[in-house]
Amino acid sequence: MLKKKKNQEVSVTSGEQAIMNKETEGLSQSQIVIRRFLRHKAAMTSVFVIFFIVVFVFTALDNKIGPVKIPGWWKFGYDEILELRLEGCPEGIVGCPTLDVLPPFIDGTGVGLGRHPFGQDSIGKDYFAMVMRGAQRSLYVMVVIGFLAGLIGITIGAISGYFRGWIDATLMRFTDFIITIPTIIIGSVVGYHFGNLGVGFLAFYLGLFAWTGLSRLVRGEFLKLRELEFVDAARVAGASDRRIIFKHILPNAIGVIIVSITLLMSGAILLETALSFLGFGVVAPDVSLGSLISEYQDSFTTRPWLFWWPGLLIITIALSINFIGDGLRDAFDPRQRRRLTKKDKENARVQARIAAANE
Amino acid sequence: MKLNRLAQVAIATAATAGLAVGLLSPANAAPKTTVQIVQSNALTGLNPSVSAMNLTFNTDVDYLEQVGFTYYNNKATLVDNTAFGTYKIVSKKPFKVQYTVNKGRLWSDGTPINGIDLLLTHITAAGTYSQIAGLGDPADSDVTPAFDSLGYGGLYEQHVVGLPILSPDKMSVTVEYGTQVPDWRLLAPGVFPVHALMMMAEGKNKLGTVAENNAARERFYKAFDTYNTASLKKMGAIWSKNYNINVVNASTNPLLLVGNGPFMIKSAVANGAVTMVRNPKYNSGPKVKSLQRVVFKVIGDGTAAAQALKNGEVDIYAGQPTADAVAQLKAMAPAVKVIGGDQAVYEHLDLRVGPAYGTTEPYNGPFAGDSQKAKDLRTAFLLAYPREEIMTKVIQPINATSQLMNSLMVFNSEPSYKNIIAKSGVSKFTAGTQASRTAQALALVKKHFPSAAAGSGSVKIKLLYGQPSNARRVAQAALAKAEWAKAGFDVDVTPTSGWSAFLEDPKYDAAFFAWVKSAAFQSGNVGTYETKANYQGYSNPVIDKIYKELGATPFTAAQIADRFTKVDAELIKDAVTLPVFQHPSANGVNAKLQGVAPSPFSPNLVWNLWDWSFTN
Amino acid sequence: MIAYISRRLGVLVVILFGSSFILYNLAAISGDPLGELRLSREPNAQQQIVALTRELNLDVPPPLRYFLWLRGILGVFVGNADFGLTRTQQPVINEILVALPITLRLVTAATIIAIILGISIGIVTALRQYSRFDYAMTFVAFLLYSLPIFWVAVLLKEYLAIQFNTFLSEPRISAQWLIGLSIASGVFWSAIISGTRKRVLLIFAGAATANFAFLSYLSITEWFANPSLGPIGIGVFSVGVAYGVTQLSTGIQNKAALHSSLTMAAIALVIYYPVQWLFEQDGEIIIYPLLVITLFLVAGFVPLKFSRIDRGPIIRTSIISAFIMGLLIVIDQLMQTWKPYMESDAVYFRPIPTIGQVNALLEPGNFWMSLLDALVHMFLPTLALLLISFAGYVRFSRGTLLEVLNQDYIRTARAKGLTERTVIMRHAFRNTMIPIATIMVVDFASIIGGAIITERIFGWLGMGTLFNTAINSMDLNLLMGVFLLTGFLAVSANLIADLLYSALDPRIRAGAGGN
Repeated sequence: MLKKKKNQEVSVTSGEQAIMNKETEGLSQSQIVIRRFLRHKAAMTSVFVIFFIVVFVFTALDNKIGPVKIPGWWKFGYDEILELRLEGCPEGIVGCPTLDVLPPFIDGTGVGLGRHPFGQDSIGKDYFAMVMRGAQRSLYVMVVIGFLAGLIGITIGAISGYFRGWIDATLMRFTDFIITIPTIIIGSVVGYHFGNLGVGFLAFYLGLFAWTGLSRLVRGEFLKLRELEFVDAARVAGASDRRIIFKHILPNAIGVIIVSITLLMSGAILLETALSFLGFGVVAPDVSLGSLISEYQDSFTTRPWLFWWPGLLIITIALSINFIGDGLRDAFDPRQRRRLTKKDKENARVQARIAAANE
Repeated sequence: MKLNRLAQVAIATAATAGLAVGLLSPANAAPKTTVQIVQSNALTGLNPSVSAMNLTFNTDVDYLEQVGFTYYNNKATLVDNTAFGTYKIVSKKPFKVQYTVNKGRLWSDGTPINGIDLLLTHITAAGTYSQIAGLGDPADSDVTPAFDSLGYGGLYEQHVVGLPILSPDKMSVTVEYGTQVPDWRLLAPGVFPVHALMMMAEGKNKLGTVAENNAARERFYKAFDTYNTASLKKMGAIWSKNYNINVVNASTNPLLLVGNGPFMIKSAVANGAVTMVRNPKYNSGPKVKSLQRVVFKVIGDGTAAAQALKNGEVDIYAGQPTADAVAQLKAMAPAVKVIGGDQAVYEHLDLRVGPAYGTTEPYNGPFAGDSQKAKDLRTAFLLAYPREEIMTKVIQPINATSQLMNSLMVFNSEPSYKNIIAKSGVSKFTAGTQASRTAQALALVKKHFPSAAAGSGSVKIKLLYGQPSNARRVAQAALAKAEWAKAGFDVDVTPTSGWSAFLEDPKYDAAFFAWVKSAAFQSGNVGTYETKANYQGYSNPVIDKIYKELGATPFTAAQIADRFTKVDAELIKDAVTLPVFQHPSANGVNAKLQGVAPSPFSPNLVWNLWDWSFTN
Repeated sequence: MIAYISRRLGVLVVILFGSSFILYNLAAISGDPLGELRLSREPNAQQQIVALTRELNLDVPPPLRYFLWLRGILGVFVGNADFGLTRTQQPVINEILVALPITLRLVTAATIIAIILGISIGIVTALRQYSRFDYAMTFVAFLLYSLPIFWVAVLLKEYLAIQFNTFLSEPRISAQWLIGLSIASGVFWSAIISGTRKRVLLIFAGAATANFAFLSYLSITEWFANPSLGPIGIGVFSVGVAYGVTQLSTGIQNKAALHSSLTMAAIALVIYYPVQWLFEQDGEIIIYPLLVITLFLVAGFVPLKFSRIDRGPIIRTSIISAFIMGLLIVIDQLMQTWKPYMESDAVYFRPIPTIGQVNALLEPGNFWMSLLDALVHMFLPTLALLLISFAGYVRFSRGTLLEVLNQDYIRTARAKGLTERTVIMRHAFRNTMIPIATIMVVDFASIIGGAIITERIFGWLGMGTLFNTAINSMDLNLLMGVFLLTGFLAVSANLIADLLYSALDPRIRAGAGGN
């Protein structure tokens, strides 16, 4: 029984190999990666979701770039105080949402956004606008931390992994040094002194301290790769250190790096949320998704929409980023097998039969 | 499916019968006798008079452990605790008061209480005694006095003359205060088990017999009377250090736990729950109705505390005063009821008129000085401050009975309030609708900035208020900013981290924050708007003079009201500050718990714990 | 090697010195310790400011004040380290000694369960790569990974504590829930066990029906109000455990191992009633370690009866089985304690708490009650931490195992005819554990200082709470005390991870690159 199964597996594996080989014939490495990635359904969906969210939230509100003001498509600003909706809300509840997704034949009213689809906060600000603003801030934090930490982490990891020796020892102890400094202290110091300078500042400082895990990972990867034959070959051929790092090792390590950067980014959004919960995050009247849920967790039973919308948005963003990372990991992994569809298997069988017939 | 439903019905019937039997037993059980109260911070010590120990929770626990001559009720009036003792004026000039402990009052170790137990207050509140006895000068910034007390420098020290005199029967103590002090009733000495202190100073760690305790107390009196530095220093060390414990268990020195209050600490977990049980010897105050046990649970997070209340893990929680938190508590009905109240804290908007007293950095903002322009702008700013909107949108959802405050000197609930606001001229800021007032404000701004209009931002103002996040202040600022904009002001409402350090900073033109109103009646807010006390650089000789009088001579209620009216009138005339509201409180209470009536003053919730009881 | 370790330890001290200096200064400028007093209207506010300045040495600038603090710490070299007092006059060291075990209790349980669960699911998903189960678990793992913990906590408390307690007052599962849970279990099992469409449907129907029957039984008998496994449950589960452990440990064809495990199951059943009696003799704590020792001795000797050769794996199998069976008996005992626990005054029919680490009202003395109390208090916070951290292990172990399975030595192992079980368990799994072991160490160290939010929400008074208090009240001594511990753990965890890596993977030398 077991043997039979294994035989099957071997033949399937070789069949798969054939398909893979066939597919990758004449393609460059990057083309293969892109192809693989495009085929990863979850990752592709996530790319669309993230793209949609980014465009959606960044065009929703008025944007000021220097003196130029680009009007947003949503009618209210996140800090505008509007008339508080009282009618139509349950007893004792103010600013309930006007979003109606139930068609007329269920509840008798039409489907529509209404004036305040996500409701209002206690003093009348439009919650949809606040959530949009919050998502902007959170995405911003995510990108800044991801970029900055990625840059520092890769640089330090690559240098120490490639050069080893005292450079490695020094850089790694420096990393240890950074690891010991708790993020929350950074948050509280930045919040106390520069809280008024906005979330960009906070993100910048957090980014300066968030790279430690990544650098250890990159170092490990470089330590491993630099021992491989192709690096020796390059060195013998007279390639400079820079060339070896950038042209030979980095492309091979890029899969691991990109995946951990995506993890870093989804982690960053949660980090900001945690800091906001502890009171060190985004400073009111500005909002982030984290500050919104931590502020409205009390509303969970009374005005649940204030709690759910930002929460769902955080989850959606983090989830999509993680899936993109997963897709990239699969795409970059040269040994990765992909799931064969029935059609593939059928084709393989047909081809095998043709080959056998030809022999 | 049919069978299933039939079976379900049958089972349900059978089970309900079984369950009814099962549930009847707890339902018929006696009402609960344990109350569980949420505290947001942990217990840090048993002696809240030590300077680092003056925290709400410590004070609450101490209140239940030690009962003295007076306490505050929920109407903010000082109640005489006649079960414990009495006090009376024995001489007007010099002003002397005699404090007498009723016969037969007992400490929890059975020792009868007498006048000697009142004397420790003098050591811990009079810096002069500390100096004479060689215990250190509390005003010295380098050396900690032997009794590291928070009481030094207070009202008592300012007025007391000489040593308190113990009566021959040892049940009374007479204290001389020089002249008659307003609010002299507040000066009543506290009661402290000095025999326990003495015994600990002598190295004991077990409760003594009554005779031993009496002897120890006599030794204390001797040390007190003869300024025995060595002995007092030992006691000082115990008083300042040994009571600072956050763990109480079987190995705790029982002498630390001696008290005369209705409850005594049975156990305390480090940074965690504190359990208090009935003091069987208690006879120093109102009778305890039915509670046998009080448990304080430490929960730092508001949402967590509310959910614990919902889950029945706690019985009472002084909720976060935000609309959402209160709505959440209300939604727990009928298992939970919400009891609203006011705290002795009031929110106000202060405008800067010059550099803060004692600082040199000049203030040149739009509100600076006495010029007509500055006065107009200040008036306009206050006129456009949407106080009613703040009340309806931010405060009343928390406590529906909260009222707009119009006097800085008295709370709305005080009897003189109506008279004061009728005469103080505050009607300038209350007449008409907010729209009309904002229009007036815009007109005033236009006088000096002809181009001013709604949203023109002609006058730039920087507002100081708190961070880390206080959702209520942020909401206040947002509402106010919108209204101010209509009057031509452009207000920067970014909250400032560590704002209290910037109160003297002339960068800020206006500030809103809250003053805690002191418990004193007449001299209560002495200083707040005095030249050398306010942070806004405001100086008005009329007010200074009135304050001086208020702090020195006792007046009748009418005389006090008259002076308060004058202060209010001056403040309004100069347009430097406006009150908004008394801070509301909202307590989520187990619906079965009766008798809860929060007091505005410390110890807010537990002041009448003896009256609490559970129904079935 | 020793030179390497001692050098690293030396560097560790230097690092801690540097970062403590930086941290002290950062923390000192991150707030205003006198803030509250500035707003005081008390007549003696000035005096209090003087007193506080004196107490906290606020007149000394922070960089110099750091050395005042350091002087106390350096006392460690002469045997009397002084970590200073907190602002509330408690010795910092005492606060930490109280808080540390609490955090450890919270973190250890969560981490261990997360690792076991995460790795098992990770392995299954890797073996069934691109199956429905893999997709489902990937989604679930990422979803959990994306949840803010306090958001999860609010939901957990509402549904698993508040509403579950309400449910317990009438512990009958409603029809909707019965159907819903049955469908969910059907989906779950059919996702794990792959096969043809017909087979999947069969599994789905089977699992759903079984689940429905099982839950209905629990509901009808009000099992939740008075749960127990009983001898029948113990028997059934023990036999299951015997088969399962044998399969994983040696393979079911090893008859000796199977028989010794089954014997252990029989023993478990036989001793069930005597043990019940023993448990009732409360107060004799000493019997519990004795019981455990006896259990292991028996488990060690039983296999000797069944085999004369290759006894190692058989003994191992038998001991693992016995351990799990012992656990079953303990669980059964805890279940029996459930009813009296629920009916006690302290609990008053709402057994699942949302806050705290123990019930302050529960009378101490009863071992099983106290244990159950500790466990129910651990339930929600552990679950919250678990949900969020286990996702990482699922993904990591899946990825690592996939990589390992592609290695040549696995192909070799398969080629030489080893069974799939041996290939997976002995060759692939062990090599997968190397990188996992190293991240485990680092994770564990970071989580000790990092459970700030979890502790806060669940009212646990551990290191996270201390840290939070220290920051909010500008309590520098406390903050530095906590930091010294967490910082030390973080740096030494990295050291241990490096050493572990080189110990487990002979290809890597510790200090490679070091010289």
